[in-house]
Amino acid sequence: MTAALRNLSLALLIVWLVLPLLPLAVWSVAKSWFFPDLLPSVWSLDGWAHVASPRSGVLAALWETTLIAGLVTALAILIGLPAARALGMHRFRGKAGVEMLILAPILVPGLAYALGLHSVFIGLGLTNSRAGVVIVHLIPTLPYMILVLAGVFANLSPDMEAQARSLGASPLRVFRHVTLPAIRPGLIVGATFAFLVSWSQYVLTLLIGGGRVETLPLLLFSYATSGRNDLTGAIGMIYILPGVLILLFASRHLTGQGAGLGGVRP
Amino acid sequence: MTRVTLDRLTKHFAGADGASVRDLTLEFPCGELTALLGPSGCGKTTTMKMIAGLIRPCSGEVRFDGRSVLHQPPEVRGAVMVFQNGLLFPFLSVAENVGFGLRMRGTPRAEIAARVEAMLDRVRLPGIGPRRVQDLSGGQQQRVALARALVTEPRVLLLDEPLSNLDAHLRSEMRDLIRDLQRETGITTILVTHDQEEAVVLADRIALMFDGELRQFAPAAEFYARPRDRQVAEFFGGANFVPGRAAAGVFDCALGRLPLPAGAPEGTGCLTVRPENILLAEPGDAGALAVTVIDRVFLGTQTRLVVLAGDLTLVLIRPPAEAARLSPGDAAAIRLPPEAVWVLPERP
Amino acid sequence: MSDRRKIVLMLVPALIVLGGLFLGGLGIGLARSLNWMPVIGLTEPNLDAYRAVLTDPDFLWSFALSFHIAFTSTLLSLVIAIAAALMIRRTGRGGALVRFLFQLNLTVPHLVGAIGILYLFSQSGSFARLGYQVGLIDRPADFPALVFDPAAIGIILQYVWKEVPFIGVILLAQMQTIGADYESAARSLGATRWQAFRHVLLPMILPGALAASIIVFAFAFGAYEIPALLGQNHPAALPVLAWRSYTDVDLAARPQAMAMAMVIAAMSLVLILAYLRAARGRIGGRR
Repeated sequence: MTAALRNLSLALLIVWLVLPLLPLAVWSVAKSWFFPDLLPSVWSLDGWAHVASPRSGVLAALWETTLIAGLVTALAILIGLPAARALGMHRFRGKAGVEMLILAPILVPGLAYALGLHSVFIGLGLTNSRAGVVIVHLIPTLPYMILVLAGVFANLSPDMEAQARSLGASPLRVFRHVTLPAIRPGLIVGATFAFLVSWSQYVLTLLIGGGRVETLPLLLFSYATSGRNDLTGAIGMIYILPGVLILLFASRHLTGQGAGLGGVRP
Repeated sequence: MTRVTLDRLTKHFAGADGASVRDLTLEFPCGELTALLGPSGCGKTTTMKMIAGLIRPCSGEVRFDGRSVLHQPPEVRGAVMVFQNGLLFPFLSVAENVGFGLRMRGTPRAEIAARVEAMLDRVRLPGIGPRRVQDLSGGQQQRVALARALVTEPRVLLLDEPLSNLDAHLRSEMRDLIRDLQRETGITTILVTHDQEEAVVLADRIALMFDGELRQFAPAAEFYARPRDRQVAEFFGGANFVPGRAAAGVFDCALGRLPLPAGAPEGTGCLTVRPENILLAEPGDAGALAVTVIDRVFLGTQTRLVVLAGDLTLVLIRPPAEAARLSPGDAAAIRLPPEAVWVLPERP
Repeated sequence: MSDRRKIVLMLVPALIVLGGLFLGGLGIGLARSLNWMPVIGLTEPNLDAYRAVLTDPDFLWSFALSFHIAFTSTLLSLVIAIAAALMIRRTGRGGALVRFLFQLNLTVPHLVGAIGILYLFSQSGSFARLGYQVGLIDRPADFPALVFDPAAIGIILQYVWKEVPFIGVILLAQMQTIGADYESAARSLGATRWQAFRHVLLPMILPGALAASIIVFAFAFGAYEIPALLGQNHPAALPVLAWRSYTDVDLAARPQAMAMAMVIAAMSLVLILAYLRAARGRIGGRR
């Protein structure tokens, strides 16, 4: 392949990867944009004004989504950290089975297990509630947290902690001053994955939240299907913001050229 | 047999992709084994990859038998490189690895099988063909890599640090194998190494590189007897550098006026004499220098003595029996044989 | 405390979530699909729901459609991702920007991509307008149906858009680990550029590429929101059909919805086993 052809195909590929985001961006500042105009005939910030007004529910949904993703991330760290340590630093009987169980939710679609869970959650009063949504979001997020951290723990020498103990540090101080700094990069990557995976959930929130727990993707879906394109565009822009910011941050701070986000599947 | 010529070969790298090479002019004689020697980062692997066609030079020429090969891609150039660690393809068996080059050329299966088997015999690994490469020892992998290159009957064989990852015992075995095979086949062979001992034992000639430039190109013995400058001498384990000035066959320095061998460079510089070439003498002998012993270390087969001559420190390596009578603090005498000293002119 | 007990304690919270909730959810789904609910007196499991589902042409159409969506999306994504990774790994100047843009949509939710595809490819979308401006079409209806279409082209476009960077980034990381030396060795032994790719690099990246493809296939087969937004009404993709049955006013349809969820889960199980095989084939140790 000649260099010119290669550069052309690469340019086309990059354009294609960015292209679908453009109409959303343009719609967010358009008022009327009818066929066959290539650009809106009337520009306006109405969409954004509507987003900012409490009536549209966008700000509430933004808060709800952030709160849920934050809670899910915190819980995933609390639950995932010890499990990742066990998997990364210890050998035990049944380990292969545990690893398979952790891998499984990455490959099993949410709908497959959520329908069954829904009927139980009804009985437990967890449907239509934020708590129920947070709990069900743990299923797709926890595997990422555990897989990332297990990899970090596998590369961590247990002798390092033993050395700190022998120098007089209590177990708590060892964790605080030795283990935590050593796993911090992995913790940040795992937390990022968990946050983004929760942030992107649609069907689990719809089913368990029963429409009462309104997150951004639910709002986005309903506006997209009701033809409010200006609002859809504005919400879309808000919705992709955390991911793009994280990617910007990662590509600047991770030497692996953002490869740290390679496994994320929002 | 192929004569390889490098003519003002130059390669610059923008980032940390490789070590640069500047203005390298060098001729590797037909059918000989030549070592490209130098510390890591001196550009020797870059040079080898340019010969193989894996890196395109910024300027200069690579010629095989006088004809430029720069336009030829690596697969038709016939300069086969054996990488450090062997770099066997992990998803292929030993036989498939050795037969790889022939398969790429479209050689018939039966012929590949026969040639692979014969080649494995020649590297003294008969019957190993069906094994997985993961199950081989480091030394075996290295030999399979050598077989994989030789079976294609290359014009030029390029060996990148073939011994560096082997332990001492396997190293000498592999060294002998490379020498034997090179002599049998007569393939022009270029060996890249950072280990001067390896270069000396294997190579007919050595090209020593520092910082992307050729410093000295000569048969191995020359590097001991007539190093070109102090850096070369130090790289070959030289010591004892005495500043002074050479003129009319005599070196004028703090040790006095010392006679020089014929052909030694003149002008200001350093006199050097290898530790093993300084002799112990009797006080009062003609040309003997009075010294004081300040340290003695038993090295096993040799003893290392450090002596003080005026305010100069000199290092000697002598047989233990000779050195045993000297202890730190003793007065002694040494002699620098004229044929064992050399002058290192100051680099401009 | 013994090591054993410590390990168990460390694992318990995660096992409660993944064993209890995840496997529990699947188990209850299985029980309900078999009409087995002792709590409300259904103690005789039967295969009625499966019989109904598997003989329903709607279900078979949906299954075939979802398989087509997943298979086509995965294959296209894989091929494009390999080509993209090969191009991107050698970019020198401007490489950082190219890599950033290539990864841009990794963090963009599928739903946003789907809306973007809708705005681009619907019959009054950007490409239709472009077609009108250059005189290719006279009215929206002249533009080929690329969304809500029977061949699920819009859905596949969305998945390819989203998954090319996903597979591509994994391949790039693999290529970085493998380095250029294996290909150099092959070239030096007489392989052409194509042969070095075909016989050396490809076998080395294949296990990782397969593992990534399996993840993509599983997602594209079981995701709900993309076909819900971009798919035609009838036949709908399997997850959409399952959702409709579950939310049907007729509660009798629920076991059938559960049976469809179990079909999706069974497909995932096959994929998990395939994934473990692929992951085991990854090149380890020697480099």
